[in-house]
Amino acid sequence: MLSVKDLHFCHKGSVEEVLKGISFEARKGSITTILGPNGSGKTTLFNCISGLWNYQKGNVSVDGVPINKLSFRERARFFAIVPQEHEPPFPYSVLDVVLMGRASYVGIFSSPNKEDYERAEEAIGLVGIEHLKNTPYTKISGGERQLTLIARALAQSSPVMLLDEPTSHLDFRNQINVLKKIRQIALEKDLTVIITLHDPNLTSLFSDKVLVINSGTKIAEGSPEEIITEDLIKRIYGVEVKKAFVNGQSIICPIYHKYSFRYGREAVG
Amino acid sequence: MKNIKILTIILSPFFIGWIALFLGTYGITPSMVIKIILNETVHIFNVGDVPEKTIVIDIRLPRVVLAGLVGGALSVSGVTLQGIFRNPLVDPFILGISAGAAFGCALTIGFLSVVPIQVMAFLFAVLAVVITYFVAMTQGEVSRLPLILSGVIVSAFFTAMVSIVKFLVDPHKLQSIVYWLMGSFSLSDWKAVKLATFGIAFGVLPIFFMRWRLNVMSMGEEEAKALGVNIKRERLLFIGFSTFAVAVVTSLCGIIGWVGLMVPHLVRMLTGPDHRTLVPLSFSAGAGFMIAADTLSRTLTSFDIPVGIITAITGAPFFMYLMKRGGREAWGR
Repeated sequence: MLSVKDLHFCHKGSVEEVLKGISFEARKGSITTILGPNGSGKTTLFNCISGLWNYQKGNVSVDGVPINKLSFRERARFFAIVPQEHEPPFPYSVLDVVLMGRASYVGIFSSPNKEDYERAEEAIGLVGIEHLKNTPYTKISGGERQLTLIARALAQSSPVMLLDEPTSHLDFRNQINVLKKIRQIALEKDLTVIITLHDPNLTSLFSDKVLVINSGTKIAEGSPEEIITEDLIKRIYGVEVKKAFVNGQSIICPIYHKYSFRYGREAVG
Repeated sequence: MKNIKILTIILSPFFIGWIALFLGTYGITPSMVIKIILNETVHIFNVGDVPEKTIVIDIRLPRVVLAGLVGGALSVSGVTLQGIFRNPLVDPFILGISAGAAFGCALTIGFLSVVPIQVMAFLFAVLAVVITYFVAMTQGEVSRLPLILSGVIVSAFFTAMVSIVKFLVDPHKLQSIVYWLMGSFSLSDWKAVKLATFGIAFGVLPIFFMRWRLNVMSMGEEEAKALGVNIKRERLLFIGFSTFAVAVVTSLCGIIGWVGLMVPHLVRMLTGPDHRTLVPLSFSAGAGFMIAADTLSRTLTSFDIPVGIITAITGAPFFMYLMKRGGREAWGR
């Protein structure tokens, strides 16, 4: 279980706080999604939790162990981070990329051993990309690359997995595939998974809990069905939406009539 | 197929070295070379006291071995710096080593002829990198781009200082400065080989053991941190080790360009980007290439052409060819 208490953060040399005291908890074997508009502090919160940035006040702990005093190596054994899609400088094979997840277990003057290979192969099997093992990482699709990064995070064998907008560069099919995979793995491996997402519908479709933040403060926390309401979306995004239920799932749809401008007025409702 | 390539690269310095030993103004047969070497090492084939023995053992062999060690050291630091700066266009001199060494040399030849050139070249090479590192430091943090930028600045500064010295000294001294700057193995002996071995033992060997970290570090600072790498400390180690190796070899034979940039590319195209194979194979390919270049430099004409000229003349077209043929693959674009 991950618990974040009263997190404050401001950039060096700045007085304005980007995070103004955020607290929440994320449970094992479930997906917690951080939802918020651009500039809300989502990525900052993400980087503070993972320990890449130092926060001024507050506390982050995993199963009661405070994280902020740990070295990079120790921290990597608590948190596995899946970055947004990126272009690596050299065309490493998929297996070599996944092996990098073992960096915190491999001594500085040595190379991965048999156990590291076993963990990497296991992670590759779990996300289902065995067929790409020896393919250069630069030659695979964006969805496959995201799965490779998830496999790398799994190879880290850390109890908490953090994913920063894992679907932002993916097409519709891959968005669904990747999130399904993440959810399946979270439940199977009993991981505490924290994701940032932009799409409220994907959020309610795939997460157990949602944390809504806006301008550095927590707006709401709870199950997505209860939290994501027409009012909330209007409040944080300033967009009028209608909530509906399809197959027992709640979805929201922006209110907009694409032909309205033709008649010189914007139709509402 | 890949194994054949790897084997070829590993054996290349030995094969090229053997050729280099029987080529030269004094003709020695290839089999004689082998006999002499076996005589010296395992004491079979008693060849007696022939002049060939002195030529091979005391003149050509140290030169070949030194060229190999220097080529290997330059290539390994090229790989290392390309990896940590995530940029395939980085060469071992990016942080100011060559300009620093050049200034140390020019200063010695020009004004301090009592001090050995090697000592001053080494000290100023290291000094240049230290200055680069501290110029790049802001609020205790050193990142990638400031390092490269301050390397450019420090290089420019020391190059200007070399120009001042060149302008002030008398023409005879100017000639030796220019000759040194172009790089040469013409003064090789076993003492230089020993010094180069020392540089490699404390510079290249640690990099060899740390080479897998280069894979992780080449993914970027934030990512390496997230994967559990203490990026600040490990990058400093890599820069420190490769600076030591390059400063030692540069002080022994002058500034030899192109090898450290080109060889890593060649190897990456042949056997892939994984640093676990890339680092050792770059060492042997660099050794082989440098021995070949040096052999050309001493056999093409009746006098020694500085080897730096040969590496540039052969390197540039070769590099162009590689870029056209395999560049897309190797750089992942």
